[in-house]
Amino acid sequence: MNEWMKKTPLEWQDYIYKEVRVTASEKKEYKGWVLTTDPVSASIVLVNFLEDGSMSVTGVMGHAVQTVETVSDGDRRVREKLMHLFMSGDCQAYSPEDLEKRKNSLKTWLEKNHIPVTEEGESQRTICVAQVLTIEPPYGPENCISSNEIILSRVQDLIQGHLTASQEDNRNCE
Amino acid sequence: MQTPLSMPVPVLRLPRGPDGYSRGFAPDARRALLKPEAPETQESPRLGESLECQEQRARAVQRERYLRSLLAMGGRQVSFTLHEGVRVTACFGAADLDVANFYVSQLQTPIGVQAEALLRCSDIIAYTFKP
Repeated sequence: MNEWMKKTPLEWQDYIYKEVRVTASEKKEYKGWVLTTDPVSASIVLVNFLEDGSMSVTGVMGHAVQTVETVSDGDRRVREKLMHLFMSGDCQAYSPEDLEKRKNSLKTWLEKNHIPVTEEGESQRTICVAQVLTIEPPYGPENCISSNEIILSRVQDLIQGHLTASQEDNRNCE
Repeated sequence: MQTPLSMPVPVLRLPRGPDGYSRGFAPDARRALLKPEAPETQESPRLGESLECQEQRARAVQRERYLRSLLAMGGRQVSFTLHEGVRVTACFGAADLDVANFYVSQLQTPIGVQAEALLRCSDIIAYTFKP
């Protein structure tokens, strides 16, 4: 196990949003902005902004990492970009009233399907299903978090069904 | 006269057990190492949070981001750098939870295209894709 793999999540956290140079096995070198480090495999995910405006994402496997050296601390612009990269469901697109409406409508739908739900977290924003799955705002299928993949897949399907049903309702109203 | 065949040794393949350094599993799980109770501090919730809580929060955030980056990689053309300077490209499918294998399809190797394949992550140095 190398030095990098022995670090704690708090130590890895210090590298997030910074530009680093990673040396890996066989003298390979990678440079980029740190998006995250996987706490299980210690793999680093680096993002590079290309000249044509697109991005390239590189993952360096934890076992291959030899040294990680900070090149620059990064600025607000990069931080903003990285913060929302891959994160699904931007809540900013919804007003608090909209979110409340979405939450209640999903709660009713889940209860109608005989699934026990409770509300949790700050200002009851999180829906908790049977104590094993949580749904964060804006309550889409990709906002479900659970370590049980069977329950996860079932509930995601239900939410997808709910979204499809409510879209059809909207179309019928128009 | 024939030399007697040596007895074949049965190979027992068991999944590797936890090595005590592995991370990412629930701290209160049955198999977790016993830890001394952290003294609870009753100050302001964020500042007085125990080191363990902060660490768990950081771990959760970083793991979620990593999983979402894998999710974004699904169905895309990914270029893998393996040992000995081997480079292959394939369409990424999935990874197992401890990131031991990547399931890919249309693996383009120097000796041909493999329709479906599992890449051992220990053979991979790095991978690159365009989101």
